[in-house]
Amino acid sequence: MTSISSSWDGTITSTQFHNAASTFSEIWNNFDLGFPHWSWINFPNKPGFAATKLQGYLSLENMILPITTEEECVLAGTEDLTCSNEDSFDDTAILVQKDSKERHHYDFHVIYSSSFRVPVLYFRAYCSDGEPLAIEDLEKDFPAYTAQELAVSKWTFITREEHPYLNRPWYTLHPCGTSEWMKLLFSNEPSVVNQGGVAIEKYLTSWFSVVSPVFGFKIPLKFSTFMNSGNVATVI
Amino acid sequence: MAADSRKVIVHLRATGDAPILKQAKFKIAGTDKFIKVIDFLRRQLHRETLFVYVNSAFSPNPDELVIDLYNNFGFDGKLVVNYACSMAWG
Repeated sequence: MTSISSSWDGTITSTQFHNAASTFSEIWNNFDLGFPHWSWINFPNKPGFAATKLQGYLSLENMILPITTEEECVLAGTEDLTCSNEDSFDDTAILVQKDSKERHHYDFHVIYSSSFRVPVLYFRAYCSDGEPLAIEDLEKDFPAYTAQELAVSKWTFITREEHPYLNRPWYTLHPCGTSEWMKLLFSNEPSVVNQGGVAIEKYLTSWFSVVSPVFGFKIPLKFSTFMNSGNVATVI
Repeated sequence: MAADSRKVIVHLRATGDAPILKQAKFKIAGTDKFIKVIDFLRRQLHRETLFVYVNSAFSPNPDELVIDLYNNFGFDGKLVVNYACSMAWG
């Protein structure tokens, strides 16, 4: 069992990230939680670089965020405004209607940052027709506490950065505080106290428990208790 | 449901440089959401940014019900909630 010492600073190596990602996605996918599955995307090695299986990232795509009831009420109220006596030239059979009720699709990539030595979440969001969403549109999808956080720390929370593998602008959650709160999360763990280390396979579940509420997303509690109950068969 | 309306004992435990509360144990309705615990801590400590987590290295979604957290992470008749004055972001 690979464990990290109790004087651990909250960071992991890229090998540990790859191992933690395999365990996390395998158990997540086996649980069949009703969400899209995580998969490891092996990134083709660029010519001239040493081939390594660790090149890649964890990906969950086409996630539809749960819409809050308040939003649905507001949207239902706007429907009256669309009534019109004029003849409409819009034919729904051939025209794609811009529907404000449309659900937004989210792609999440978890990428290891070798400068911060922690996982970093990259994400993008788009409508069904593929049109990308701006941060102003995303704010409406997020829970109230995320909107508050955005107002307080506009430049240190969610910003647009280049996706390290795809070289396109994606949104990202700032990793500056990650090692600090990962250290805190594991500070009371029996595995630290009793065995002098942290089981690396729990790392991504704990990390995701902090990251996922940003999107109003709940990790099923049975998943996290399973991860912590010692049931994890594939101990690294 | 009767089972869900029962009270849960929450033990608030300071970590890092966070101030310790005079009274650390509280009873809260199981039907309350976890955000009520977070907001209580914010008011008591006069801090807007807090990092709050339970046992098993888990930081719950503020919308989780306290009873669900107790059933999954409770131990010895209480739910231990750790808090630190760190910022998660930025």
